[in-house]
Amino acid sequence: MNAHANTAGRAAWLAGLAAAWPVALGYLPVAVAFGALGVASGLSPWLVQLISLTVFAGASQFAFAGLIAQGTSPLLAAAVALALNVRHAFYGPALRPYLRGGPLAAFVLTDEVFAVALQTLPKLPQRARSGYLVGLGLGAYAAWNTGTALGAFSAEGLAALPYVSKGLSFALPALFLLLALPYLSRPIPLAAGTAALALHLAGHTAWGLLAAGLIGLIGGRR
Amino acid sequence: MIAAIALLALGTFLLRLLPWRGGAALPARQAGPALVVALLAVATVSPPAGISWLIAALSLGGVYLAMRAFGNPGVAVLCGMGLYALLAALLGV
Repeated sequence: MNAHANTAGRAAWLAGLAAAWPVALGYLPVAVAFGALGVASGLSPWLVQLISLTVFAGASQFAFAGLIAQGTSPLLAAAVALALNVRHAFYGPALRPYLRGGPLAAFVLTDEVFAVALQTLPKLPQRARSGYLVGLGLGAYAAWNTGTALGAFSAEGLAALPYVSKGLSFALPALFLLLALPYLSRPIPLAAGTAALALHLAGHTAWGLLAAGLIGLIGGRR
Repeated sequence: MIAAIALLALGTFLLRLLPWRGGAALPARQAGPALVVALLAVATVSPPAGISWLIAALSLGGVYLAMRAFGNPGVAVLCGMGLYALLAALLGV
């Protein structure tokens, strides 16, 4: 009985790992760009890798490194990046009908892992769901950290190729556009983006992001 | 720096775990979207205004079209990066 359960669990884990490849394909170039950007922001390659190993949340990692590059204090940068991750608090409750989350499953619950899990978990038997989600998440985690290492530890070589570094510098806006697409028709995020842009152009980027978060908090309560 | 990274890591983990386990009510539904749009704005353009803004706008258009065409975020990001580098080379930025 136990042997059968172990075999089924391993099969579910492997199925999740195999399903991770589209997410991994998406993560690799963005993670390389994050690794290079983090080093360009003044962080050591080991600190950049530590961020990917412990945080595993792409957009907030970019925001953190970007704010550090602009001279924002590390704690304020972390607070802004953390506010960006508030949306993650809605992923677990959305998956709760299918799976009660454990620490490992929660650690790997990124935007993309959530999107795949939400489509796939309802089709799986209950006993396979946890293993599948962990396999999926760990595949994505491996790709994210491999890409970060490539970018962080070869940042000098990448920077020496002028148009490669130009292209890498655009990974951040490209990623944020994809994340922002579902919200660009909503008035509150648009108002927040406009306020942040105005303050950014006036030289107050961090305050602009805080203002955007406040507009989202206040607007979301109405 | 280590304390800031620890704060970000622990906070992100708890944001993912606690609502999944406990089902706490979260009123801040627009905070995440508001910050995502704000980050898009501040990451895309920097003062002063110039040809780089046009290159960024065209490249964002390329990202959108690539996402529509291929449906893969990684491919869309790669297309945008390639278009941005190409336009920068062509326009000498």
